[in-house]
Amino acid sequence: MSKLVQIFSSRRTWAWPYILFMAMFVVLPLVLVGVYAFTDINGQFTLHNFTKFFTHSEAIQTFLYSLMIAVFNTSICLLIGYPAAYIMAQEDFKTPKVMAMLFILPMWINFLLRTVATVELFNMCGLPLGEGALLFGLCYDYLPFMIYPIYNTLQKMDNSLVEAAQDLGASRWQSFWKVIVPLSMPGVYSGIVMVFMPTVSTFAIAELLTHNNIKLFGSLIQDYITTTDLLNYGAVLSLVLLIIIGLTSFFGDHDSEGDEKGGGLV
Amino acid sequence: MRVDRFTIVFCLLAFALCPVSAQSNITYPLHIGTTGEVALLTDFPESYAGEKVNIRIETQALSRNIEDLDFIFADTPQPQLAAWGDSIYSYTDEADMTWTVWCKHHKDIKNRSKRVLVGNAYAAFEQYLYTHSGMAGRRYGWIWWLFAGLLLVAGLVYGGWIIYERHEEKRLTPVEQETLRRKRMGMRRHYGSQLYLWLLLIVLYAPIALIAVFSFTKSKILGNWTGFSLDLYANLFTGKADAGLNSAIWYTVVIALVAAVCSTILGTLAAIGMYNMRARHRKTISFFNSVPMINPDIITGISLFLLFVALGISQGLATVCIAHVVFCTPYVVLSVLPRLSRMNPNTYEAALDLGATPAQALRMVMLPELWPGMLSGFILALTLSVDDFGVTFFTKGSGGLETLSTFIYSDARKGGLTPELRPLFTIILIVMLAVLIYINIRNNKQQND
Repeated sequence: MSKLVQIFSSRRTWAWPYILFMAMFVVLPLVLVGVYAFTDINGQFTLHNFTKFFTHSEAIQTFLYSLMIAVFNTSICLLIGYPAAYIMAQEDFKTPKVMAMLFILPMWINFLLRTVATVELFNMCGLPLGEGALLFGLCYDYLPFMIYPIYNTLQKMDNSLVEAAQDLGASRWQSFWKVIVPLSMPGVYSGIVMVFMPTVSTFAIAELLTHNNIKLFGSLIQDYITTTDLLNYGAVLSLVLLIIIGLTSFFGDHDSEGDEKGGGLV
Repeated sequence: MRVDRFTIVFCLLAFALCPVSAQSNITYPLHIGTTGEVALLTDFPESYAGEKVNIRIETQALSRNIEDLDFIFADTPQPQLAAWGDSIYSYTDEADMTWTVWCKHHKDIKNRSKRVLVGNAYAAFEQYLYTHSGMAGRRYGWIWWLFAGLLLVAGLVYGGWIIYERHEEKRLTPVEQETLRRKRMGMRRHYGSQLYLWLLLIVLYAPIALIAVFSFTKSKILGNWTGFSLDLYANLFTGKADAGLNSAIWYTVVIALVAAVCSTILGTLAAIGMYNMRARHRKTISFFNSVPMINPDIITGISLFLLFVALGISQGLATVCIAHVVFCTPYVVLSVLPRLSRMNPNTYEAALDLGATPAQALRMVMLPELWPGMLSGFILALTLSVDDFGVTFFTKGSGGLETLSTFIYSDARKGGLTPELRPLFTIILIVMLAVLIYINIRNNKQQND
């Protein structure tokens, strides 16, 4: 009994329930995605699903198209979001907190409902639903994810660096490109990761915004994984997505470490 | 004359905006909802050929593929438009959304699919143009013209102002000109950035405003104003709304509470445990902790779906709760950890030395210090759980369990939205706005004190 008390009073053991939980519901499921991808419907090892993917032109095309849409969406979000974050982070901007909250508030309305309302808005304006509507809707949904991290890094930035640059004769434009932009890169990277990854995998938004005329990779995965016979093929598609996610987050991770180091110095 | 940078940007923006959609030549489905009276009938009554039929239209159509549809009919009794539909024509009595349809050629309907799209004259005609001519003239709605007009007026006013400024400047000495220019540059920068932010906010809030405005009318279709009414609010609160919606609200609340409570307990314990581990172990665990955060919801959902399939667990309320705990707990861990590192690590040991049991020490020493982190983790978990769609979608099983997100999704796929969703989310928005204003006022007070 006293041994039991001893075990529980060591606070290290308090993490064990969570570790077990994660092993069961985080690690094991991800391993299962791989297992299902390499097996056929009877549980036998096979590479058939992979060869099917590489010869399945619809899947490849959808995949490339989704990647393109995600890249477009991320760039649009960056182009729109960076100036917004920059303006909010200016010292003479009076109500940055309110503004930041105003940008986040729409996220409290269910995104599917907002998407349906966007479709309705496009109809009221007489605008067609299609690629344009899809990009608008995606950008609309993920813009706050871009603004927030950039705003955070810009706000934490030491303003005296900009002043120093200007004292040393840099123009406003030069000090922006040579000082502010490089220093805000960690925020930009995490913004890119936060927008890119959900866009690649989105499935419901595209379906609603284009009346299912444009298919993204997420919808394709959804179609296959919910069909019992094609579950293994769906697992292959998920695995492909997982690899993309891994690569992107590795790219993002690399830079967030730099962020921590930078934070340590200051 | 020096060309102003802002003017260039402004003109480019205006030029870029206007032709964007005019040039797009994607053929798209019927302007569904443009006129608000389009509906999809999946089961067309076969036995009524040549007779007058009353059909109750449940929802607005959201056609999955226009190719699926065989007939498009006009709602006006005008023969030339109805003739295109070739088989029937109909008209609507808008008040109760009952459509009257005459079938002329029953054979056509029977031989082909039974799916019939009933639209009004304008929409049907436009669809005809799109499918047959390929060079249909697009008609922009009034909102579009309003935006375009405002943009044009703003551009003209701005341009005029610039010209006036230049004209005024000529009267001044060079030094005065320089100071004035600098002052104006600053002003322009200030107002320009304000304008930019507010324009963004207007675009961001436009769809939400649409929901809020149309929550005050009885119409079943979003975008169709049938006069001011509070009926939808009354329906929502008296439970007269769709039964599916009521159960979806309950399930959402129950799942969110269960998931948030479980993940707060699990996450707090995990954070305490991780904090006391060796750095190497802590890093490994925090890597795995970040996996559900990095994974998009579709991957989390699918991987859990595969787990439940592999284990043969039937999916339902329990699996959805587990799935929600999976993606909520990491956020709790991350909001509790900073609190721990700010806390004096020796107080817990001191409590044990003074004779407290671990449970007592946890309750009386740790919790008072940790609760702000736990609370923010709890709130974050609630938010994430309520908002989640992807994970719920794959783990809810086929037993008819729906949360608000999945309910909206299946509703939108069927066509249209349950009208009571509009007041529901308007209330949520107003509550959140009130909380925001309250926090802001309190912060201002604290700053002033």
